[in-house]
Amino acid sequence: MNLKATSRKNAIHVMVAYTGGCNGCDIEIVNAVLSPRYDVEQYRVLLTWNPREADVLIVSGVVAWQMVEPLKKIYNSIPDPKGVVAVGACAVNGNVYKNLVGDIGQNEEIWAPVETVIPVDVKVPGCAPRPEDVIAGVVKALPKILEAP
Amino acid sequence: MTSGEKRVEIEKELSFGPVHPALIEPYRIRLFVNDEIVEDCELNINMAYRGIEKLFDGLPVERALLIAERVCGICSHVHAWNAVRVIEGGLKIAVPPRADYIRVITHEMQRIASHLILFGHAFEVVGHETFAMRSFLLRESFMDLISYVGGNRVMPSVPIIGGIRPRADLTESLKRVILERVDEFEEKYKGYVARIIEDPLVMSRLTGIGFLTKEDAIKFHATGPTGRASGWDYDVRTKMDEYKPFDFNVITDESCDTKARIVVRALEVFESLKIIRQAVKNLPEGPVVNRSWKAEEMDFTTALLEAYKGELMHSYALDSQGRIRNYKIRTPTPTNLAAMEHACVGDHVTEAILTIASCDPCLTCCTRAEVVDSGKSSVLSDLEIVRKYGWRK
Repeated sequence: MNLKATSRKNAIHVMVAYTGGCNGCDIEIVNAVLSPRYDVEQYRVLLTWNPREADVLIVSGVVAWQMVEPLKKIYNSIPDPKGVVAVGACAVNGNVYKNLVGDIGQNEEIWAPVETVIPVDVKVPGCAPRPEDVIAGVVKALPKILEAP
Repeated sequence: MTSGEKRVEIEKELSFGPVHPALIEPYRIRLFVNDEIVEDCELNINMAYRGIEKLFDGLPVERALLIAERVCGICSHVHAWNAVRVIEGGLKIAVPPRADYIRVITHEMQRIASHLILFGHAFEVVGHETFAMRSFLLRESFMDLISYVGGNRVMPSVPIIGGIRPRADLTESLKRVILERVDEFEEKYKGYVARIIEDPLVMSRLTGIGFLTKEDAIKFHATGPTGRASGWDYDVRTKMDEYKPFDFNVITDESCDTKARIVVRALEVFESLKIIRQAVKNLPEGPVVNRSWKAEEMDFTTALLEAYKGELMHSYALDSQGRIRNYKIRTPTPTNLAAMEHACVGDHVTEAILTIASCDPCLTCCTRAEVVDSGKSSVLSDLEIVRKYGWRK
């Protein structure tokens, strides 16, 4: 591991962008990062709310149309190299909001999956995924950041 | 909004959101401040509109439960249970008593988890990380129990029409585990609450801000712990048949401020523990699901339930093929937030977000409907309707 990767590894900053799901994944993510049981801060992965500090962007939720532009803005203001993790069935494929509709046929209020708005590196399925899965997803996104030139 | 005819010179506008460190969910707060005193407050919660009520239209009623549960990730069991109660009330489907008990147990477990999220959130806003972390750690024991009962930490999917999922039936060993964990939790939680209430620093930060009088609470229909902290003893649980066998108190507080809203929730957890203990110890034997029902035409039926944040209403009708028509959900948060908008006026600007957080805002379920005001041809969200017309029965 070269010097760049070593120093990057020492401070991975994670940002959570919630784009209009049901809140369940969101709390599981914050739980995974913050709560004392699934504490990832012990591995020097920190939660930040400033996109300019972030390395990994965790996106949860179906993308409501109000959140499309803010999400692109957040993605663009994260410096390279960056990784994007889509957490939850909503972010991966739209979950029931996209796939279980009655008479209207198609739900046009949402833009799910997240892939259609910003490029996604890792997908964590589940409704809601366990905090362990979220941590595993973030770890999968790390090589891209560490090995970047 | 609240200043009426009196003209107030606004010095500065502070706006937060939609994505902001203090707000985990996307919503936008505009605070109009004069010399650091909030003169007016405006919330925009329309950031997560998913058109969820429209999705129900035309779905078979069993499948609709999947969506109903995913209205909110904190109160998932309440939405699933209330969606089921509508059809059970409308078509007179008998529910076995054992199923009712297990629904109540899951409900109270999730209530504790939800209140502990609020403590975590509120103390994070206060700036006291230790209390926030302790509350997240305490919450884990109940998340575990929910996953033992239902199989998932967030979406336990316990109720189905006519009872509960057979998987969620409590075995003898699980009953023992629940009782053990409840005792263990209560001991730790007592220490935690005593530590909060005796902490002069945190209490001085919470006391005396965000006043909401009883009249205002009734006017805005601020239900749940928010209303009970203003001395309004309104609790849907006292009127429900499912809660008849249990002995519990409705906690109210007369002090009407942010501290009261936190303390009422802290004490409510003990009542929930009491209900869980009674339900597990007196769990009746018998079947857990009644499958002898058939979806048929049903009139527009309403069911009320005490969600963790206040009164929750679900209502729908079924057409002749048993498909859902006109699903309507009214969640407690829009009315609570309208009350909080009113409560934070006149306070220092640093207290505004704390006051708003103290009503336990859960915004995913708020933005599920928009009403087109035909007179002015404008689109109103639920919050604006409450703000504009007040709450009506």
